[in-house]
Amino acid sequence: MATDFFDRQDAARRNTTRLVVLFVLAVLAIMVSIHVLLAGALGYLTYEERAADGPDWSLLTDPGIALLAFAGTLIVVGGGSLFKVAQLRGGGRVVAEQLGGRLLNPDTADPSERQLMNVVEEMAIAAGTTAPPVYLLEQEEGINAFAAGFTPDGAVIGVTRGAAQRLSRDELQGVIAHEFSHILNGDMRLNIRLIGLLHGILIIGMLGYFVLRMTAFSGGRARRSRDQGNAALPMLAIGAGLMVVGFFGTFFGNLIKAAVSRQREFLADAAAVQFTRQPDGIAGALKKIGGIATGSTIQSPNAPEASHMFFGRATSGFSALFSTHPPLGDRIRRIDPSWDGTFPEAAPGAPPVSASHAAATGFAPGAGTGRVASAAQALDHVGRPTEAHIDYAARLLDSLPDRIRAAAHEPYGARALVYTLLLDRDAEMRRKQLQHLERAADPGVFEETLRLVPIVAQLQTLARLPVAEIALPALRQLTANQYRLFKQNVAVLVEADENIDLFEWALQRILLHDLEAHHGGVAPPRVRHHALAPLQPQCELLLSVLAHAGHRDAQAAGKAFEAARQTLGLPQARMLDTGEADLRALDAALTDLEQAAPQIKRRVLEAAVACIAADQQMTATEAELLRAISASLGVPMPPLLGV
Amino acid sequence: MSALVTLLILVAVVVVLGAIVVGIYNKLVTYRNRYKNAFAQIEVQLKRRHDLIPNLVETVKGYMSHERGTLEAVVAARNQAVGGLQQAAQDPGNAEAIRKLGAAEGALSSTLGRLFALSENYPDLKASQNMLQLGEELRSTENKVAFARQAFNDSVTQYNIYRQTFPAVVFAGMFGHGQDAALLEFEGEPIQQVPKVSF
Repeated sequence: MATDFFDRQDAARRNTTRLVVLFVLAVLAIMVSIHVLLAGALGYLTYEERAADGPDWSLLTDPGIALLAFAGTLIVVGGGSLFKVAQLRGGGRVVAEQLGGRLLNPDTADPSERQLMNVVEEMAIAAGTTAPPVYLLEQEEGINAFAAGFTPDGAVIGVTRGAAQRLSRDELQGVIAHEFSHILNGDMRLNIRLIGLLHGILIIGMLGYFVLRMTAFSGGRARRSRDQGNAALPMLAIGAGLMVVGFFGTFFGNLIKAAVSRQREFLADAAAVQFTRQPDGIAGALKKIGGIATGSTIQSPNAPEASHMFFGRATSGFSALFSTHPPLGDRIRRIDPSWDGTFPEAAPGAPPVSASHAAATGFAPGAGTGRVASAAQALDHVGRPTEAHIDYAARLLDSLPDRIRAAAHEPYGARALVYTLLLDRDAEMRRKQLQHLERAADPGVFEETLRLVPIVAQLQTLARLPVAEIALPALRQLTANQYRLFKQNVAVLVEADENIDLFEWALQRILLHDLEAHHGGVAPPRVRHHALAPLQPQCELLLSVLAHAGHRDAQAAGKAFEAARQTLGLPQARMLDTGEADLRALDAALTDLEQAAPQIKRRVLEAAVACIAADQQMTATEAELLRAISASLGVPMPPLLGV
Repeated sequence: MSALVTLLILVAVVVVLGAIVVGIYNKLVTYRNRYKNAFAQIEVQLKRRHDLIPNLVETVKGYMSHERGTLEAVVAARNQAVGGLQQAAQDPGNAEAIRKLGAAEGALSSTLGRLFALSENYPDLKASQNMLQLGEELRSTENKVAFARQAFNDSVTQYNIYRQTFPAVVFAGMFGHGQDAALLEFEGEPIQQVPKVSF
């Protein structure tokens, strides 16, 4: 298991390429079959006229027919796939909504929904991602869950009502960890591509059915006419042939889909145990699935299409070969070898115990500030948070005042909270900022901001960014108009004091990176850079800003930059002066770096951590910057824990 | 041969059209889900508002025993609003239910307004800690309701516009999206200026 997050991201891409190759082969096979079908059917049409013995296969070499068959197949399959993928590109919420999901309100009063939201928030902070929107499949009594979305940023998590109500907190945590592992491993991109490709092939079969129906219909009317009756037979053959081709195409497509999916499920189970260090949680959830009559079945008519995205088997009635999930017993035994093979009788609807997960030890800023582990070690945790990270996240969340959590959980208060976080320490600046808010923001939000000021002032420095991050799901619910105003206000607040402070920059960067993608429908980034050398100016800027930010005197900064340069492996990299390294340019640099291949991102982040760790000390500013940088690169980096 | 080409073209056209129609259907469903989600936001805030009112009545009762009529009107309006909310929550797309909810909430706001206006005559009540806090909470809830309502109306407008424009308008009726969803408007005065507690 030497593979890490970046390798797995690469592998996910490679697997996608492999799938595309397989798919192209399948389409070629389909083209050839359709060509033979057409040539045969047309040859039969001319058969009687020529009164020869046996059908005429000479049309097989006719370029017109070949073109017709190949182009037709390409249009139909390609169009069908592209259409489906384009539709799903809208992100995970499209999938969730088609499955009948209801977006959970972050400030829900229902205890089981509350618990679910808490578990998701905790896992998100531990994994270093923003909290994904959570959808509840209300109609579903079975125990199941899914993750969907094209990128980690566009991901959503869906949970059935059965799972939210019947699972204990630990079990729920196991299931959510399993889903997060799918998100972190890049499985979802693969999943959505699979749906698209299969859809294209499916259309061939549907087309055959359509031709068959049409011919049968018009054939019935034209029975009296000899000539037309003659033509009907080849048409019937074409229809039936298309159906057979479509059927086999879908058959093998499903086989591939199931095989890929089963492998990924085992991996996600193992990852869930690794995240939580609690095999009982996920094993308990699997056992409960076995213990109830509804199991993990999903009733929604759209379930078969998305069956490989779920935690447990969503559809029943397939043979083992077609099953998208390994047998329940196998999965449990891999996690809990001592299992006796009996399923518990799950009591329906046991209300969650509202006990907090973390012992009431209070939140000490043990993470972040202080000594830093080595860069390599820190990067090892990317996409693979540990129990320690989850503990850290739970304590952090616990330490937040109720007022702040409540405000973060609804769009109204969340805006005020972000405004409050952006207020300057300098009294004069602050007065200016508040004046702007009073003018531009909604009067109620302005008052709410004033109310939050004293509470936010008492926050631990390191809790400030996480507070903004748990407010994200609520902020995503702003409508386009509301978001526009919010964005304007944030920009004005950030720029009020002419020079942008690093925390303000980091906060704005994290918020906008997520919200722009959500509201603007920005397409997921493509990999454009495969080599580090052309990105040298961007790396210079990034590491210079980081070096200056963490070290007051130029000498220490120079030393930090030197350490970063060595890790990065670009000997010509030159450190920029404070004047040259401005944050606006950094925005552009990060946009470029986001389009780098995973391995390049890894090198850059390693260099960044080396820069921070050079003096064995990490300041809060450095931690916040690192968080903003990794979020901008789309890399889920768990909080750095002090040693 | 040419008949076959025609057929294939026809089939290709049908496939493309089919894809477009499926897309329209999905988009309609997505937009409907979006405004339903937006309604869930309003529901949370309105429920909070409704929950505050019994406390308010309890607090006020001791001071304003002579204003029994007003208090009863507030309680009645609140119960009406609770019922309206339940019905609207079952189907936020039902224009009639939304209109009724708007009327009930409007009535609640105006009776509350009357109550707060009367409370001006009772300096002890005005100064009581409980009353200050309740006034404050009602007002902040009111702001949140207004905000959530704006989001709901935005989403409803987006749905309605999509539903009414070509090409969706051709299929909307067929797919059960024949009716516009209604905007939520509270009749009567906005409560904003009313529970302002002056010091």
